[in-house]
Amino acid sequence: MHRPPSLALRLTLLFGIAAALIFPCFGWVINRSMEKHFEAEDVAELQVIDHAVEEGLSGVHSGTDLTTLERRFKDLLVGHHRASMYLLGEGKRPIYESPGPDLSTLAQAFSANTDSHTVHQWKDAQHSYRVLIRRVSEDEIIGRPSYIIAIAVQIDYHLKFLDHFRETLWIVIAGSIAIMTLMGWIAVRQGHAPLRDIVTQIRRISANELNTRLSPETVPRELTDLAVSFNEMLARVDQAFHRLSDFNADIAHELRTPIANLMTQTQVALSRERTIDKYREILYSNMEEYERMAQMVGDMLFLAQAENSPRKINSADLDLAREVHMLFDYYEGWAEERDVTLVLEGAATVSGDRLMLQRALGNLLSNAIRHTATGETVRVGLGTSIDGTVSIVVENTGAEIPAEAIPKLFERFYRVDPSRQRDGNGAGLGLAIVKSIVDAHGGNIDVVSGAGRTRFRIILPGPSTAVADTGNE
Amino acid sequence: MKILIVEDEVKMSDYLRQGLIEAGFVVDLARNGLDGHHLAMTERYDLLILDVMLPDVDGWRIIKSLRESGRQVPVLFLTARDSVDDRVKGLELGADDYLVKPFAFAELLARVRTLLRRGTITTTETTLTAADLELDLMSRRVTRAGRRIPLTAKEFALLELLIRHRDEVLPRSLIASQVWDMNFDSDTNVIDVAIRRLRSKIDDTFERKLIQTVRGMGYMLETTGKD
Repeated sequence: MHRPPSLALRLTLLFGIAAALIFPCFGWVINRSMEKHFEAEDVAELQVIDHAVEEGLSGVHSGTDLTTLERRFKDLLVGHHRASMYLLGEGKRPIYESPGPDLSTLAQAFSANTDSHTVHQWKDAQHSYRVLIRRVSEDEIIGRPSYIIAIAVQIDYHLKFLDHFRETLWIVIAGSIAIMTLMGWIAVRQGHAPLRDIVTQIRRISANELNTRLSPETVPRELTDLAVSFNEMLARVDQAFHRLSDFNADIAHELRTPIANLMTQTQVALSRERTIDKYREILYSNMEEYERMAQMVGDMLFLAQAENSPRKINSADLDLAREVHMLFDYYEGWAEERDVTLVLEGAATVSGDRLMLQRALGNLLSNAIRHTATGETVRVGLGTSIDGTVSIVVENTGAEIPAEAIPKLFERFYRVDPSRQRDGNGAGLGLAIVKSIVDAHGGNIDVVSGAGRTRFRIILPGPSTAVADTGNE
Repeated sequence: MKILIVEDEVKMSDYLRQGLIEAGFVVDLARNGLDGHHLAMTERYDLLILDVMLPDVDGWRIIKSLRESGRQVPVLFLTARDSVDDRVKGLELGADDYLVKPFAFAELLARVRTLLRRGTITTTETTLTAADLELDLMSRRVTRAGRRIPLTAKEFALLELLIRHRDEVLPRSLIASQVWDMNFDSDTNVIDVAIRRLRSKIDDTFERKLIQTVRGMGYMLETTGKD
């Protein structure tokens, strides 16, 4: 599987890309404004000269002396040391040319087209200029000739400044992007500090400190959910862990009793010579203990399996009434001896594992028969509700189960009356097995005891849902 | 009847051999998978008892080579693991039966006898007799010493099972599974009650008691005892 890139890398990249997009935009805007500003400055200067030239021309007529004119224009350019001008008179006759760049070609070219006014940038061999060329035609005053004037301002200084400025700007922008990215990286690292704290805390939790909890109030709000759900998981693990160790303790305890019996019995038996019959008696007695242990281990294995792979059930449609009748057949003799009547009411079909359900119902039924007073009845009720769930009720009259025992009834090795553990009641796994079977079928079991009767009720999903359930295995 | 046991656990294999020899079988014992594999492939046996978990060549491998070479000898698997997967795997590979440790020796014996009987052609009997007891399978009628004894359907089935396995000890779990199709270990004395009731009908009024309790193991219908 491809591993997604680290969060720090992702966020840093994101910061970097954002900076790389935004700063150049700013740079461009600033650069443009600077260019506009200098251009406007140049144009203003050009216009001042232009205005003065126009003024100068106003007193000129065809007869004006050229040298006078020349002097007038020279004076005019004083104070504009970067400027130069070129004037064309009627019939493209050069009237005046200031020292500086050769503007004649530009002026001659201009006269060919009809534009009345252009400003553009122009470059000769050494310098750059901004040039204004226009036709001055004072047509409204009859007899006045029209001129073409070309005024140029050298802008090398401005361009140089702009180049410098641009260079600085780009360096600043590149630096800003780098700083932003670095800041982003630092921010992310800093931002992850609480996460690392949590990791350190979690790392410190060992198997015997499962009751430790993270404190959700001390972490940033975004991590509260993480802390809370981690705590919940921890609680579940803790619970399972305790159940498991309790369970181990239970097993050890449950095995200790029969092993103690066996050891004592065998040691006493071997302490002196006995008759063959005595030995046989001891072996038989041992075997009973062995059988008890074997059955307990078998039950434990069954429970472990049902818990570990609850999906491993061989589902088939089962006629529960038929199954209950078979169980009645089986328990009939025993029930009759105890003068207990078995009654079945209703019918239902369920999808499930026949052997498992047989075992669950058998356990409930034998339990019920055992606790029913003589002359009374054990009732099994089957029914299907509107939503398709199937209920199996096993009800008997007799001693009630104390209220405080009910929540523990389905726990392993739990016995309502601890002193009765050796009277053939098994190891106290019967109801735990019933529950695990019901759980494996996706059902529920509950028990109500009161008013002289005890009622176990199993709710199982109907045939269709159960089939769909096992279908997506 | 010759049986091969392949089992690596020393105590278990020794007692299995002893028990089966005392039950009248000829028994070969292999203590590892390799020997077991060799014996199974070269000798002729009527039945194999295979432990699934062996240190070298496991039970699965042995049965696989057996079946691949076309040997149809019945195989009974022993395993300490009771998982559906194992069971399915065993049956797929051609195992005939399956026992989970710990098991009752009587149960093993009963299953061994059943497997050995499976091969032989059984004539479709219509009557079963044991001593002076007679079962008519067609009319479901039971007579003892000529006297008719009325039995319920389950009682008849129980008696039929006992007679078919006469002189064999039948453990309670086997009886529950064969007569009532109850395949879980009940912690009740249901079978004892059923046997008691059957006894009251077929044994109580007769001097010779046919149904014997084998303490700690189960029940047996005895025909060979003192007459």
